[in-house]
Amino acid sequence: MTRRRCLALGVVVLGLAWGLSAEAVSISHRVEENHFLDFATGIGFFLGGAIAIDRRPGNRLGPLMVLNGLAWFCGNYLNVRNGWTQPVLHLGEAAQAGLLAHLVMAYPSGRLTTRFERFVCGAAYVVPVGAMALSVLTQDTSRCQACPPTPSLFPNLPHAELAHRSFLVYDRSALVLVPLFFLVLWLRWRRSSLAARRELAPLWVVAALLAAAFGLSPFASEEQNSFGYLMWELRAVLQIAVPWVFVYGLLSTRLAQSAIGGLVVDLQSPVAPGQLRVLLARTLADPSVEVVYPIGDDRWVDAEGRPLRASADDERRRTTKVERDGHPLAALIHDPALDPDLVRATAAAAGMALENERLHAELRAQLGEVRASRERIVRAGDEERRRVERDLHDGAQQRLLALSLALHSARRQLGNGELSLAGQTLDRSGQELTCAIDELRELARGIHPTILTDAGLAPAVAMAAGRMSIPVDVAVTDERYSPTAEATAYFVVSEALANVTKHAAANRAGVSVGREGAVLHVEVCDDGRGGADPARGSGLAGLEDRVTAVGGTLEVDSTPGAGTVVRVDLPCGDVS
Amino acid sequence: MLTLKTPAPNGVTMTGMRSLLIVDDHVGFRSWAREVLAHEGFRVVGEAGDGRTAIRLAEELQPEVVLLDIQLPDLDGFAVAEQMSLQVADQKSAGPEVVLTSGRAPEDFGRRLTDSPHGFLAKDHLSGSSLQALLEARR
Repeated sequence: MTRRRCLALGVVVLGLAWGLSAEAVSISHRVEENHFLDFATGIGFFLGGAIAIDRRPGNRLGPLMVLNGLAWFCGNYLNVRNGWTQPVLHLGEAAQAGLLAHLVMAYPSGRLTTRFERFVCGAAYVVPVGAMALSVLTQDTSRCQACPPTPSLFPNLPHAELAHRSFLVYDRSALVLVPLFFLVLWLRWRRSSLAARRELAPLWVVAALLAAAFGLSPFASEEQNSFGYLMWELRAVLQIAVPWVFVYGLLSTRLAQSAIGGLVVDLQSPVAPGQLRVLLARTLADPSVEVVYPIGDDRWVDAEGRPLRASADDERRRTTKVERDGHPLAALIHDPALDPDLVRATAAAAGMALENERLHAELRAQLGEVRASRERIVRAGDEERRRVERDLHDGAQQRLLALSLALHSARRQLGNGELSLAGQTLDRSGQELTCAIDELRELARGIHPTILTDAGLAPAVAMAAGRMSIPVDVAVTDERYSPTAEATAYFVVSEALANVTKHAAANRAGVSVGREGAVLHVEVCDDGRGGADPARGSGLAGLEDRVTAVGGTLEVDSTPGAGTVVRVDLPCGDVS
Repeated sequence: MLTLKTPAPNGVTMTGMRSLLIVDDHVGFRSWAREVLAHEGFRVVGEAGDGRTAIRLAEELQPEVVLLDIQLPDLDGFAVAEQMSLQVADQKSAGPEVVLTSGRAPEDFGRRLTDSPHGFLAKDHLSGSSLQALLEARR
């Protein structure tokens, strides 16, 4: 038996002893009341306290209920009329209103959340207890034969008028405290979520009726009439209800857990995508439940694989992460009022279904990524064609058009017999033609270098490195690979070197290409400023798309100030 | 015999040749066009490498003809021609005769070219006589 359970059992034993002896005192003093109802009410607080201590350790509700139970029976012991215990019992009885208000306002978390709640709770303790203390200390017991002698701590204090007035304050304090209490309940109801309201409703209905009865009781306390009797009876019945509603509330987690059984049955048949969320919402009685799944590092998607932003817990939502074998499986985003144990138990029951839906979501997310990457590849191809067209028009074609005009000029000059001028014109035409040929060659090499097809990666990479303005260390073997692997590797090298020129401000770069089994490793590094991010630069994203499209992987290591390393692994197939 | 629509600006001696502004961003092409057209009946009064310079020079130099490349680095030839005609409307002068030109085929410009009020001469057919013929045809 755990220490917690021993404590709970101790509370029950204490409650039975305290309650039964209190009733024994009442019976022996022939107090006219329903002893059974009185006992049932008080013992209800002890039982509720025991359950709360066992089920919700660390929650203040348990101790608060036990104190309520102790205070409940104080009135019975007042009949003993012992001079030393009398004041304490009076104060205990006076504290009952505060304890009860505290209990209701702190349910179910055990804490008062706002300053106003703390103020009202404090007033519910201080006003009745303070007024009672003043009344006890100032009452003149010497004129009362039946009264026991009170400890004369303040011998000069007896003052009948003050004692009477203090007692009136005690008796009428409900007139102020009850409306304040209602205000607290109303404010909290307004800011509570649906799930929280469902949990609060039974207790608050009873507490509100009881508070109303308390609020009306000052009108009935002066004389014994039928209204007073009705109020007294109502309070008695409602007071029994209060602890038992608490007991119901504490046990309702257990009731909710039985809904998990229904969930398990529902999950026996196949669950359509998105349907799992509906089932979990029903089990947890929280229609706002969302289920999200992790893919990769700190990226979350919904059941359809749509990306989501990870959000931190706030007052309105709480995230419960579900793990399996130490790996994140899913996360439930739900109402913070839900019992954490219930959420965890529900998630555990739905484990297999969550795993299935996570796989489905992952597949959808991958499909979405493939679609996006395919679109980017097509777009990049279009852009490349546009660039080639522009280069052809603006470069070689303009030179050829100029050449056509130059030849036109030369013909005229020849016709006029200006032989020397015509010679000069033809010389300039020759230069224009050479430029046009160079530009065409450069353009063709940019599209696909012939040397790559003819002689392989090593000379092609050496040529690309040779065009750089900084020294480049090249380590490439003469081995030949599949045309796709060679073309992609060359594309990676030339793009990465172009990035070095454009962004890195490096003094030196290095290129290495080598095979390991069926994988071709390509690495381009530099000693530049670093800080490259594939997510930001379209150049690196284009590179990643191209590499991913042939089944390869790209990794960029680019710490600011420490240079950049682009590592690409490509499936290289058979040696051709 | 050709007649001038407007007097030549800045005290330039009037001859029978029509004044011409060449607008093209390709320096090599521009200089050869100047060489050819200057020997084939045109008085080249200026050159511009972009649209905004062309608009400014058209106002300053008041050429009779503007040979205007459609693809320029800032504005395109259609927009430049429109600006030039707006300028002319402000000044209530006749304005230059704009001839659009390009290295591309005229079909590449679709309706923008067919709907344009200006003539078009492909760069590969450019010569003094072809430009004269186009201008005559558009009278």
